[in-house]
Amino acid sequence: MEKALNKALEKTMNNEKKRRHAERRRLCFSIAAAVIALAGAALFFLPFVTFRLGKMNYTFTSLQVVTGYINVNGTAVSLPVIAKIAAAVCPPAFLAGGVLILLKKPRSAAGCFMLAAIAPLAVMMTGNSASSTFLDLGVSRVEMSYHAAMAGMLAAGLLAAVLSMATKGADRLAESVFLVFACMSVGAVAIITIYMIAAGTPAIAEIGLGNFLFGTEWAPSSGKYGILYMILTSVFGTLGAILIGVPVGLFTAIFLAELAPRRLAAVVRPAVELLAGIPSVIYGFFGMIIIIPAIQAVFPNTFGYSLLAMILILAIMVLPTIVNVSETALRAVPVSYKEASLALGNTHIGTIFKVLVPAAKSGILAGVILGVGRAIGETMAVIMVCGNVVQFPQLLQSVRPLTAGVVLEMSYSYGLHRQALFSIGLVLFVFIMIVNISFTMISRRGVKIDGRE
Amino acid sequence: MVASKREPATTGGGFPSLHRSRRRTKDRVLAGLIYLCAALTVCVLVGLIAYILVQGVPHISWDFLSTAFSARDESLKGILPMIINTLYIVVITLLIVTPVGISAAIYLTQYARQGKLVKAIRFTTEVLSGVPSIIFGLFGYTVFCVMLGMGVSILAGCLTMTICILPTIIRTTEESLLAVPDSYKEGALALGAGKLRVVLGIVLPCAMPGVLTALILGMGRIVGESAALIFTSGMAYDMPKEFFGHILQSGRTLTLHLYQTASQATDPNAFHIAYATASVLLILVFLLNRLASLLSRVFDRSAKARA
Repeated sequence: MEKALNKALEKTMNNEKKRRHAERRRLCFSIAAAVIALAGAALFFLPFVTFRLGKMNYTFTSLQVVTGYINVNGTAVSLPVIAKIAAAVCPPAFLAGGVLILLKKPRSAAGCFMLAAIAPLAVMMTGNSASSTFLDLGVSRVEMSYHAAMAGMLAAGLLAAVLSMATKGADRLAESVFLVFACMSVGAVAIITIYMIAAGTPAIAEIGLGNFLFGTEWAPSSGKYGILYMILTSVFGTLGAILIGVPVGLFTAIFLAELAPRRLAAVVRPAVELLAGIPSVIYGFFGMIIIIPAIQAVFPNTFGYSLLAMILILAIMVLPTIVNVSETALRAVPVSYKEASLALGNTHIGTIFKVLVPAAKSGILAGVILGVGRAIGETMAVIMVCGNVVQFPQLLQSVRPLTAGVVLEMSYSYGLHRQALFSIGLVLFVFIMIVNISFTMISRRGVKIDGRE
Repeated sequence: MVASKREPATTGGGFPSLHRSRRRTKDRVLAGLIYLCAALTVCVLVGLIAYILVQGVPHISWDFLSTAFSARDESLKGILPMIINTLYIVVITLLIVTPVGISAAIYLTQYARQGKLVKAIRFTTEVLSGVPSIIFGLFGYTVFCVMLGMGVSILAGCLTMTICILPTIIRTTEESLLAVPDSYKEGALALGAGKLRVVLGIVLPCAMPGVLTALILGMGRIVGESAALIFTSGMAYDMPKEFFGHILQSGRTLTLHLYQTASQATDPNAFHIAYATASVLLILVFLLNRLASLLSRVFDRSAKARA
């Protein structure tokens, strides 16, 4: 009896010790987080830009960024608004985080620290426009030495966030970290959308949407930016590729799913998968050495590099996508459908075309849309075979689609010309987003139907 | 089904024999078309690979693989710098993408409750996987090269590729994590293990072959990528001078080298380089593909053994 009591007492004492230990550790974490927060806020007052004007050296800090304009040579230099907002938000966020952690609110404190850590990123992104503002003013040397200070703030914010979350225990910390990483793809899509719009709209605004989308002349040297022919080329090329690729791909999928002997299918299926993994440059190279000479041989007096070559290459490239997705859809049709159809006296082929294909319709459609997306966005393979002349797309003439338009002139363009290239990217992006979202809708609907049946 | 309703109408005709023969011809034609299309697909595939390998493999030599490249010097036509650049990009991208992708997949499969956030994550992952690489290239150029001041460098290329292959990694890892039987988790939880320990100690190790498959698929994608890298990691072909400093230098990968040599080739000698580079790429992609399917077969077998 006594022994048991003693044991229980010991246990509670042990537990007490453990609890006190954990509490002490938590306190340490809180204090560390608060200290790091203070340090991060203090970094804000460090000078981070130095520039030389004549023989004088000037420096200024983020405090000055927030408080107003900087006078250089009698001209007021204004920094981008985003940088100002970010710089203004940074120290209060740090301090608020520090206060919250001492008030034992680790979750909201972590949020504040994250916000404080993001702020310097915004400043860094706008840094180039700041330095070019200075250079435009004729300042002889600008040194944006803010990288170290900004990196320090970033690190301090993230570290403080981790520490403040750690005061809630390792399991919660791990969950938060996993969540942050899971949100990366949301962040990536959001940032890509924002940047494509931000980079693409200025040129469209300057050229005029109608002139840009429906103009037929692309001559950057004389200020003419019409991309109608590029859009048409992309559309025609994709349509042609789908017209060839879908029947061939669908029939191959039927072969693999229904008619092929098991051994043959086991060889062909991985081969088709391999086809999907071959780099697009190799397809383009293949087009250059096989398809172009073939076109030249069949149609003498033509150049070979043409819309036809582009269509053929794209058709080969969308094949694996269509075969894989359609085959999966065909296999997902319940066997009972097929059995019922055969029992009604239908032939195997009749069953395939009248029962299996209609039942797998939405899956096949999803495959087609996926193929459309791949064909519109394909770049390198197309550049190598399409000839790259901007003109109305005709089957045997040299053409230039949207993707090629972006890549070919990127290296030597500047000013409005370069902005126009980003606008082409934006048009392409809008096309792709429409295709993508309709794909998601259709594949979801397909899943729902399958689920109901 | 709508389709099967139509059938009795056709079989109810007055001339069954004529009808049957017509149907048989139709069936034969369709079956013939199916075989033809399948044969076409296989022929294109085999023809493409065989032609490039036959033309290219004789030009692959130890010299070709181990010397530097120069646009002017005729004696320097190797691809060693491109191989090194490709390795740099593969390794660094995987270093970044592995923790991110695996954590995201763990959150989605082990922690997430169905809600708006999870729906948003799934939707954006799907959208991201459909964005063409040229858009990633433009984005990477504006954000990493210009705005963050990295310049055209291998690091910018790696960050761009990270976003590019993230959806693949997340989805494949997710599938393999879902394949781990619930009984394992329940057993571990019943023994008193915490959630984190269950996830990292039981679920993740069981799903390891699947995770490795995901990484290898990602590797294949990086090796084959061109449009996303042309603006971000650039076209320089110098041999690396410093081990870490090279990360901030521009460097072209094997695919970009093939693009450059093929599209600017004027003499047959340059075409030999293109053929040989294409063969090296094909062999590499083939090996990665085999490795991935081997791993997934191992995974399937162990999953079956468990069930």
